[in-house]
Amino acid sequence: MGDILGLIGRRLGLGLIILLVISVIIFFMVELLPGDIAQAVLGQGATEENLRALRKEMGLDQPAIVRYLEWLGGAVTLDFGNSIVTDERVTTLIGDRFMNTLFLASYAAVIAVPFAIILGVIVALLRNSIFDRVANVMTLTSISSPEFFLGYILILYFAVKWSMFPAISSLSEGMSFWALLERTFLPALTLVLVVTAHMMRMTRAAIINLLASPYIEMARLKGTPPWKVIVRHALPNAWAPIINVVALNLAYLITGVVLVEVVFVYPGIGQALVDAVSKRDFPVVQASCLIFAATFILLNLAADVGAILTNPRLRHPK
Amino acid sequence: MSFTVFVFGYYTVLLVASCIAAYFNKRAVFMLLFSLTLVSFILGIVGGVGALQTVAALAGLLALAGMISYGFREFLVYLAEGDVGAPLRGNNTLFLSVVGLFTVLAFASSAYGWGLTEIFVFLAVAMIILLPLSPDTAKELRTAPMTAAFGLFVIFTYLVMGVFASYIAPHGEAEVISSAFAPRGEDMLLGADQLGRDMFSRIIYGARNSVGLALVATVAAFILGASAGLLAATKGGWLDQLLGRIADVIMSIPSLIFALLMLSIFGPDISVIIVAVAIIYAPRVFRLTRSVAGNVVVMDYIEAAKLRGEGNWYLIRREILPNSTAPLIAEFGLEFCFVFLLVAGLSFLGLGIQPPTADWGSMVRENATLISFGDITPLIPAAAIALLTVSVNFVVDWMLHRSSGLKE
Repeated sequence: MGDILGLIGRRLGLGLIILLVISVIIFFMVELLPGDIAQAVLGQGATEENLRALRKEMGLDQPAIVRYLEWLGGAVTLDFGNSIVTDERVTTLIGDRFMNTLFLASYAAVIAVPFAIILGVIVALLRNSIFDRVANVMTLTSISSPEFFLGYILILYFAVKWSMFPAISSLSEGMSFWALLERTFLPALTLVLVVTAHMMRMTRAAIINLLASPYIEMARLKGTPPWKVIVRHALPNAWAPIINVVALNLAYLITGVVLVEVVFVYPGIGQALVDAVSKRDFPVVQASCLIFAATFILLNLAADVGAILTNPRLRHPK
Repeated sequence: MSFTVFVFGYYTVLLVASCIAAYFNKRAVFMLLFSLTLVSFILGIVGGVGALQTVAALAGLLALAGMISYGFREFLVYLAEGDVGAPLRGNNTLFLSVVGLFTVLAFASSAYGWGLTEIFVFLAVAMIILLPLSPDTAKELRTAPMTAAFGLFVIFTYLVMGVFASYIAPHGEAEVISSAFAPRGEDMLLGADQLGRDMFSRIIYGARNSVGLALVATVAAFILGASAGLLAATKGGWLDQLLGRIADVIMSIPSLIFALLMLSIFGPDISVIIVAVAIIYAPRVFRLTRSVAGNVVVMDYIEAAKLRGEGNWYLIRREILPNSTAPLIAEFGLEFCFVFLLVAGLSFLGLGIQPPTADWGSMVRENATLISFGDITPLIPAAAIALLTVSVNFVVDWMLHRSSGLKE
């Protein structure tokens, strides 16, 4: 058991190091700016006094490494400084929005994960039949479509033509849970379509890979009924790849959410990021990027840890 | 009355076709047709005649696409059997210098305004396309699945559309010719956009701008990643380790987020997009090149070449690259899809190619208000993006299947 804990601990340590490197990249990339942030914010016509005042206010008179350590220290305690544009605290600006994004992503995940795994197993069992080929073409189409294409198609049909769901997912205080689910159904469905296709293909590949192995053939030859071959023999070994697939796709969901939020005007962190990018509001951009990267790394870590836990072979590397 | 006829005809065609399929023991076709019949019962009850008409229209479209792909595949097979690429393959230097000459002429023509740029670009591209058409490829083309043939056809169409955009488009790219959101008519096939520019012309020009940008960015990513990968595979040691760790870090940042970060700092500019994409997607190419080349490097003929005293550059150019082209070409296709979707996403967010240049991603965003009136025009550029990505994926699927020799 200690062995597993050691392995997982090492993975977590590696993840932390990568996160640290990314924070360095995110912070020092802004330093690459020709001139400095104060210049970029105030534009070419700024007077020297204004520049100096803003530099002092933002702490730009200190060396970069000191500011980085301060920023990192703040980030650990969830304090990302103030926005340049509105002068609000970044944490209050994006805190609620981050929760909204998490809600949307988990809404999509709750629908997509079971759906995709069941469908993936079915097409793996029906492989090379006409259904498999149709499913292949459909999933490929869904993966290849930009998220905003799927989103607008759903708006066109579900919101405009059939008026079943609202096209814009504005949230308000004190909405009941069901109203919330209805409001956010279309963005969630868009994400479900994209992620399901990915997950189905990967699940199918994992299962087919497994069904080709000799011990499955052995089970078949000794006369085990097909369902039992799947449930008793194939599934225990399939958990590792499936958990991997799920975690990787949840990580994908986190980035796919940016475009979907913009399409449906959903008040999430993705939209905050896009707004901040066009206004060049660097503290908000840095904070959102760090949050996105951290979530992404965390989910990738979860994939690794899940694989270690469910696959004993990974615990004894040769 | 005509609805009744349509519904009767619809079910008759489906049932007769499934019976014929069953009689000739075409199991897959029968299953598909008969399950479609069963689904149609439910669809007909829920959605009425309209739903059935949609199904029929979709089937018609599918048949059309199938016929076009079949025709195009046979066309390619004939060309390949005639061995039209043979004169080009004979002499490498001659071929490269002629393509180079056309490229230079194209640049010169656009710089001095001879008006022949499109012709020269097309000649250069056509020579590259004709190059692989030989009796060997004819054999493989004949067994290519319909999806791959369809993909090739779509890619070819986009190519022609992009290169000859200024001849095909009836109006200029940024030419305001009517009022905002003017309806469709004789003059404007798809109506006008939010500033009164012709939508159809802008879509045509978009093929040049959007696809061109994605292509250039992919090539940049590919050159960066492949050269780093080849270097890592041939040199090994600490350089390999260092490059590998850098690739790890870049790959652990979500691509869209990384691109947004870079654009926020350096401003939305085409050169920034190209550099950002190159950095974001180079690690994928790096890993593949490194592993493919790593397998080649341990071969005996590499050892022999090294003993002959050949340098690294020779090894890469004459021994390693020719033996790893197949997976690299497939990777190029996949990479192009990712890049294309990323760039389209960026321009959808208003951070890609800046107006007034026509670009599919931003066209969707600018005209999105039309969707709330039930108009599908803004979806056409989005569909154009999806169609190209699907097509490239189809072709890549076929190539991967062929090169791996997998049956499952």
